[in-house]
Amino acid sequence: MKARPAGSDCRAAGVVASNRWTILVGGLAVTWIVVGLFVFLGGARSKAQEPQAESVGLQFHTFVDSRGVTVLSPTVDLGMDFTNRTGLRVGFGVDAITAASDSCARCHAEGARNAREFVNASIIKTYGDTKVSVGGEFSHEDFYQASTVSTSISRTLNQANTTVAGGYSFSWNRPQLHPDEIVENQLAQSAYATLTQTLSKYTVMQLGYELGSILGYQSNPYLRTSVDGVKMVGVHPEERMRHAFTARLRQAMPGDVYLEADFRRYFDDWDVNANTWSVGLSHEFNPRVTASGIYRRHAQQGASFYQPSYTGSPQFYTADFRLFPFDSNLYTGRLAITPQRGLLIFPTGTSLTAQYEFYKSTTNFEAGIFTLGVRMPLKHP
Amino acid sequence: MMNSTLPWRLCAAAVLAAVLSTIVNAASGNARPAPSVSLPDRSGTVITLQSLHGRVVLLDIWASWCPPCRTAFPAYDALYREYREQGFDVLAVNVDEKRSAAEEFLKGRDFQMKVLFDPKGTAPEVFRLRGMPTSYLMDKRGAIRFSHEGFTDKLVPQYRREIEQLLAEAP
Amino acid sequence: MTPTIRVMLILGLLAAGSSLTACATVQPWQRSRLAKNSMQFNPDPALTAFAGHWQESREGAAGGLGLQGGGCGCK
Repeated sequence: MKARPAGSDCRAAGVVASNRWTILVGGLAVTWIVVGLFVFLGGARSKAQEPQAESVGLQFHTFVDSRGVTVLSPTVDLGMDFTNRTGLRVGFGVDAITAASDSCARCHAEGARNAREFVNASIIKTYGDTKVSVGGEFSHEDFYQASTVSTSISRTLNQANTTVAGGYSFSWNRPQLHPDEIVENQLAQSAYATLTQTLSKYTVMQLGYELGSILGYQSNPYLRTSVDGVKMVGVHPEERMRHAFTARLRQAMPGDVYLEADFRRYFDDWDVNANTWSVGLSHEFNPRVTASGIYRRHAQQGASFYQPSYTGSPQFYTADFRLFPFDSNLYTGRLAITPQRGLLIFPTGTSLTAQYEFYKSTTNFEAGIFTLGVRMPLKHP
Repeated sequence: MMNSTLPWRLCAAAVLAAVLSTIVNAASGNARPAPSVSLPDRSGTVITLQSLHGRVVLLDIWASWCPPCRTAFPAYDALYREYREQGFDVLAVNVDEKRSAAEEFLKGRDFQMKVLFDPKGTAPEVFRLRGMPTSYLMDKRGAIRFSHEGFTDKLVPQYRREIEQLLAEAP
Repeated sequence: MTPTIRVMLILGLLAAGSSLTACATVQPWQRSRLAKNSMQFNPDPALTAFAGHWQESREGAAGGLGLQGGGCGCK
């Protein structure tokens, strides 16, 4: 872990910039070598493929929390097939932060408005049992901009009873240290691999591993902690390596009931260790109506340099609540309906989803998230 | 003493055999006799594939839970309506374990092709099906001449070419 | 490689190996339950993406969402 030396902003940016292309080219090269192997070994033969789900989806999310922050977030996504082997997916969304987040409220007592827009797109190509996608996302808000490129590949084996998949993404993030004009750089990349296996007609499991690396500015310029009684903006290390192992299970039970169970073990070199597990049940009342309930528990240890307050001259110090030790519970209820004859102006096959989530953590933070979604097929099923 | 050119000649012979077998397979379109299939339709009448010898038959194995199968259903019915007078038949073999799931899909749909029910999956077993959906085009002598795994609308022109080719052949 | 990573990798490989030997081959026409939305790991990518976004804004752990596989196995 390296702290950023005083007055070295430009030099750090230069080092990060020269590493950026090395990391990007190296990561993409490795991924495409793997893609090539998949296609070559798999004997890419041309045959008719299932249409990618051609549909358009609209979702509205309302996030209200105990700090008085309200986030309204509409998102749109569209999936289209150009040929029997090529599909396109695009998405667009807006997070509109209104009222006062506790960071903005310190300076803007009258309230602050901020909007984050994002747009993403990906091309999916199918070669026999292999699917390859390449895509990117760009997001922008006041004082932060992020650009991401990503690629993924999956292959089904054993008459679709086994699926191996992997992916890689690279992001260039640019936080601005508001109210200063300084713009920092951050490079983030991640790679994942999963193995999905059908165990029986009623059981499927998945194992996964994700590795992430973040280089560059990672402090939070808006939160201050006490260092020898003086409020200071936190200083975090400029390197972070993250690992996440996941194990997931889906089980069909009698009576059109379905069980889902997920577990994630996370750890990184800041010593943030976390166990996250969730369990849920769904019931299909009939082919058109499904109700679900899910409980999720997250328990994490704080970063090695976390303290409620600091004395002396610590190298790193933080007020970022994401690095604190805490537990949280999330309760989710969901209802999905697919009317037989369509709905109002929406065509047959349109599905509606309504979901409510309640989140509570031991840091005295609570949030309620309500989601309403509609998905319309582009072709009559 | 072994002839030093023998290994090379053996390799050449193996390559030639492989190439020839590929050519032969391509020319015959991997034709093989269709397995015997007898299944009930919606009214309970048992239909046998062999009773349709003399006609070109498309046998489609589908299920209501399979999205490309659902897309293929009206397309196959349209092909049936277009070519039935020329000696073309479609057998849409449903493999839903629950008949009610199939009927839910069929309810309110206007179709003329024959739908057969195979909840135990005997047809996909004898046809050695490897993916859903798969359709098999059989000639007038009952041999499988073309098969397609998966479906999109963009395949329909190819289906038409194959059906017309088989319809033009003598019985 | 730290001891923790080594242990997790070994456990993961063992689990994967044992699961593969324990599983049966489900034929393509027998996947009616497996094709249900409730049996998918990521049936609604837009919903999953939003959940990942707000959870990452509140928690120190991240990742584990880029997952695929299962489903109807349809061509």
